[in-house]
Amino acid sequence: MNKPQRIGIVLTRVPGYSETFLVNKIVGLQNQGIEVILFVDQNVGIPKDFICKIKCMPYGDPLKWKRYFKMVLSIWNILFSHPQRSYKLFRMHRKSLRSRVRSFKNVLLAQPILNESLDWLHFGFGVLAVNREFVAKVIGASMAVSFRGYDLYLSPLKQPDIYKELFATSCRYHVLSQEMRLDLTNQGVNSNHIEVIYPAIDVDFFRSEVNDIVFSYPLKFLSVTRLHWKKGLEYTLEALAHLKNEGIDFQYTIIGEGDQYERLVFAVHQLDLVKEVRFIGKQSPAQVKQAYKEADIYLQYSIQEGFCNAVLEAQAMGIPCVVSNAEGLAENILDGKTGWVIPKRAPIILANKIKEILLMDVSKLTEIRNMAKERVSDKFNMEVQQRKFVEFYKK
Amino acid sequence: MKIAVYSGEIPSTTFIERLIQGLERSDCHVLLFGVKASNHYPNKKNVKNFGYRNYRFFKIVYLLSYWLRLTIFRNRDKKRLHRKLKKLSRYHLNVLIKVYPVLWYKPDIFHIQWAKGIQDWMWVQDFGIKIILSLRGAHINYSPLADRNLAEVYKQNFPKLDAFHAVSNAIGKEAVIYGADKNKMLTILSGLDLKSFPFSKRRSKSPVFRILSIGRDHWKKGYHYSLDACSKLKNQGMDFHYQIVGLNPDFEVLYQLKDSNLESHVKIESHLPMDLVRFYIQEADVLLLPSIEEGIANVVLEAMALGTLVVSSDCGGMNEVIEHKVNGLLVAVRDPEAIAEALKEVSEMTDSTYETIVMNARDTIERQHDIEEMINKMTGLYSKTLFFDK
Repeated sequence: MNKPQRIGIVLTRVPGYSETFLVNKIVGLQNQGIEVILFVDQNVGIPKDFICKIKCMPYGDPLKWKRYFKMVLSIWNILFSHPQRSYKLFRMHRKSLRSRVRSFKNVLLAQPILNESLDWLHFGFGVLAVNREFVAKVIGASMAVSFRGYDLYLSPLKQPDIYKELFATSCRYHVLSQEMRLDLTNQGVNSNHIEVIYPAIDVDFFRSEVNDIVFSYPLKFLSVTRLHWKKGLEYTLEALAHLKNEGIDFQYTIIGEGDQYERLVFAVHQLDLVKEVRFIGKQSPAQVKQAYKEADIYLQYSIQEGFCNAVLEAQAMGIPCVVSNAEGLAENILDGKTGWVIPKRAPIILANKIKEILLMDVSKLTEIRNMAKERVSDKFNMEVQQRKFVEFYKK
Repeated sequence: MKIAVYSGEIPSTTFIERLIQGLERSDCHVLLFGVKASNHYPNKKNVKNFGYRNYRFFKIVYLLSYWLRLTIFRNRDKKRLHRKLKKLSRYHLNVLIKVYPVLWYKPDIFHIQWAKGIQDWMWVQDFGIKIILSLRGAHINYSPLADRNLAEVYKQNFPKLDAFHAVSNAIGKEAVIYGADKNKMLTILSGLDLKSFPFSKRRSKSPVFRILSIGRDHWKKGYHYSLDACSKLKNQGMDFHYQIVGLNPDFEVLYQLKDSNLESHVKIESHLPMDLVRFYIQEADVLLLPSIEEGIANVVLEAMALGTLVVSSDCGGMNEVIEHKVNGLLVAVRDPEAIAEALKEVSEMTDSTYETIVMNARDTIERQHDIEEMINKMTGLYSKTLFFDK
């Protein structure tokens, strides 16, 4: 296939700062002369000067009257703007044994996309493609879906058949790790249709000139992560409580916010870590970078993880990283070579690993840090990611 | 004595309903305020239900009727109340609908069940109503840790309250941190109606070891630790069946089941009728409470009364009920290894040891968790607050 001209990307909302990978991807495509249109589900926080054209789904407006108005407009579009495409889509949903009402709803919800002619329609998360599996076919575009972690590992737990229809459609998949590729193949997807494109970070921004690390007490541990159960912070805190019991002096900073704050504050209180642990909430990129500079060891002891950009950033900044073996993390870090990967849900193993690192030879430590820096800057930089995406659409 | 038992909702949780039922049999008049879940709350001689249905139309009529009564007969009081609420910037319709009926019926004691709402009720003291706070669970143990404003509210108001009812000694100690007066505090352990929880001996050891946990889906219930423990048991090759009742599993639990390959060993049931839950408790070899935080867990008391051995984490006031290896097993909080070991110990226990422990457990419940005892103590607290604290 030749280079595409127009690509539509479907997302939940307009990417914020932390989702640099999406912005970066769009810029990369535009630099290749490809026009990008963004379809978002939620009409919130849309900047006026965004880098590409944005279309909002009719049900995504926070104001009720606007939602109703847009729904009416969508029905008008079905009848007068693209009745053929709409009917075709309706028929396809009916064929896949969906009810009349569901099929009609699906047609209604796909209106902004039906209006466009595109070469590719790319769903930014697996769940976004559900109920919209046939839209690409109807508008004559190729279809692509990205899986990023929770959509592959968590969403199907409550709805086991959620991707049944999607996996039966002809489509290309983008995943973040080899592990995810394997898991998708196990679910019956043809492995030739799956492309692993690793996430990328701005390696020019996250660069540190410090060479040797000498641990000084109190040690500074750092995690940059949402306060979410899947990040395994409770287990991390338990490991740190073990270290405290053994007389190791440390400070642990957690950057990020989330719905598990109460749970974690209580854990800190119960584990007697009030003096050692700080939750400093969301921080600007410059502040995050500063925190990396000051940290001795980076911890990402997740229970479930797609890949984790923060671990890439920490490696780029030359901090030794200890991570769990949750999904993509074992590819993010090569155990014993660019950091350490240990089994999840086992705080004592984490505590022991940290103690081991503290006693490690400086030269060995430097070797690991350098290798991590090098690997991140070679494999996980934005140019590589941009190039791979352009190639992805050429296939 | 006119006692308002206020939890914000009618009917309330099991233990608050138990309190209301007990008070009804004593010579207290119980007044209930708040949101009525249905119109079918059983009408009782000594219990008056002044709640409202949570529909806009009912709420408007309800608010208007009390506003009118207060304006005609007690306008000065109403204005005083308004001034109070304005001072606290709590002068909203949704506050007025809660406070008007209380002002109108003026109970002798306003017994508030959940600490978080305390600020909305401090005004009652100005009208000669005594205010008693029950110290229960999360509202004391962790909410104020994460929410500094709430901690401030507690610190401002706790010293002014007339009395406290602590569900365990442990939670009483926590409340002292926020300025609660120890001398005004009485620990009244939760009570059971022993007749509806008859003791029965374990029928026979089944080939598969049956573990049961009961509790809603909340992180404080510590299911990730019990599942970690199950994972360890499985790796040791033990044959067991773990049932969790009352849980509507979220992603965290579902993911762990799949990730640790426990799907064939663990069964989750979201909602079951009380009788069936009782049956499951009797059928289980062990009731496991893996919680991180509790006042005193009711399910543990029930299991102890029914004759099922309890393995509980040593959180909150649990060690005020369970004495390790005497009437149950206590394990450290957040310790899957210890949970697994304790479960193993129970599975290998001789019948006679098992029997001794569960008999002791029943004895404990009869001694310190009889509903009559609880009600006596509670009415004692009411009369002491009302008549002697001048």
